[in-house]
Amino acid sequence: MALALGVHKSRFLLVGLVVLHLAAISHQVDAGGGVSLLQRAVFTLLSPVESAFSGAARGVISAWRAWVDLRRVHQTNERLEERVRYLETLLQQRQHQASEADRLRGVLGLRETLPLETIAAEIVTRDGMPWFRSLTLDRGRQAGVALEAAVISPEGVLGRVVAVGPNAAKVQLLQDRESGAGVMIERSRVVGVVSGQIGFADAGANDLVMKYVPGLADVVVGDIAVTSGMDRIYPKGLVVGRVRLVGPGSGLFKEILVTPAARPDQIEEVLVVKKTGGPPAFDESVK
Amino acid sequence: MKLLLTGVALLMALVVATALGQLLPGLGRIVDPFLLVVVYCALRGGETQGMITGLAAGWVQDAQFAGPVLGISPLTKIVVGFTVGLAGKHFLLAGLGARTLVLLAAAAADTLLFQWLAAVFDVRVLDLGPLGLLWRATVNAGLGVAIFELVDRRLPREGHA
Repeated sequence: MALALGVHKSRFLLVGLVVLHLAAISHQVDAGGGVSLLQRAVFTLLSPVESAFSGAARGVISAWRAWVDLRRVHQTNERLEERVRYLETLLQQRQHQASEADRLRGVLGLRETLPLETIAAEIVTRDGMPWFRSLTLDRGRQAGVALEAAVISPEGVLGRVVAVGPNAAKVQLLQDRESGAGVMIERSRVVGVVSGQIGFADAGANDLVMKYVPGLADVVVGDIAVTSGMDRIYPKGLVVGRVRLVGPGSGLFKEILVTPAARPDQIEEVLVVKKTGGPPAFDESVK
Repeated sequence: MKLLLTGVALLMALVVATALGQLLPGLGRIVDPFLLVVVYCALRGGETQGMITGLAAGWVQDAQFAGPVLGISPLTKIVVGFTVGLAGKHFLLAGLGARTLVLLAAAAADTLLFQWLAAVFDVRVLDLGPLGLLWRATVNAGLGVAIFELVDRRLPREGHA
């Protein structure tokens, strides 16, 4: 009798919890694309815990790396010195090219792209679930990180901020299926939208799909895809990746896969682009 | 005591998930230490405990790793915890083979239920596919069996995870 009562009690509890969660999820879904109060509260509450655990994990990793690196430090040093010499030469070359480009731009009367104001942040946690591609950063509202801000790395675009706490921010990577970014093929100026929706176990699991590119558009394997700036999130001209596959697709559009330039699994620091609040600046040619 | 040990187990799951994400991101997406805690607690403590552990584990996991909508992981893990706990009361699931089967089924159910709920609520998630599902279930079952054996040796038979 007592056992039956216990089972009934637990079933009532199960039904109650299921209904409660269904209501909570429905509420968030109904709220549209914005961040719900529940999501913000939970994220704010738990971000210090995440930071603490991540700090401990990073401490252990750093100690291990320090020990390993000590053995190779001499070789690395020599290699780095050589690299610095090479980069210095390259820098001189680039400076010369940049001043030449500035001069030409001035002559042609083209508008100069505004320099981006950014906030440097460290990655605290990476995605721990197979369904999403996200990162948590150690900078939040207090450092000036805003919702929908673009997150970039030296290699290219990573994603956008989808939740902000006082000292942490959650980033949705381009590889996430919910993501989307306006892009343009640098060579042919063909525009489209990229998002991540390749299956978890597929060969090109990290590739992005470029959508809405007409079947007759000029896109070939190896083309560089850059942000178009039309989505009002990512500034124009940032590298997104390189076209890996171009197929005929079904219907009117091509099937294009883009290998992202930025590798979120291999970086530790990122840059968050500060939101200016104004509309994106378009080139004169676009106007 | 049960509550404290469950809390410690969940904290350890959080540490493992965070460390895996930093060290081996690929494996971090497959191994679900929270699921292992839920299954173990459900097997040892029954459906109510499995459910409550699932609730706590799911919320911690969702808060740290989930996408734009919170609540799918807790809901999934509540159901998995309840079902495993109920099964543990009615069947003898202490053997190695039985535990492997339970873990395989729990990991598969967790994945399928999550994807189904995401589809119902129109939350777009990456599709694991049959191969990903099988791989995730196998890795978690293998790890779970080994960890359960280790924990069993440390804890008294009538105790709790």
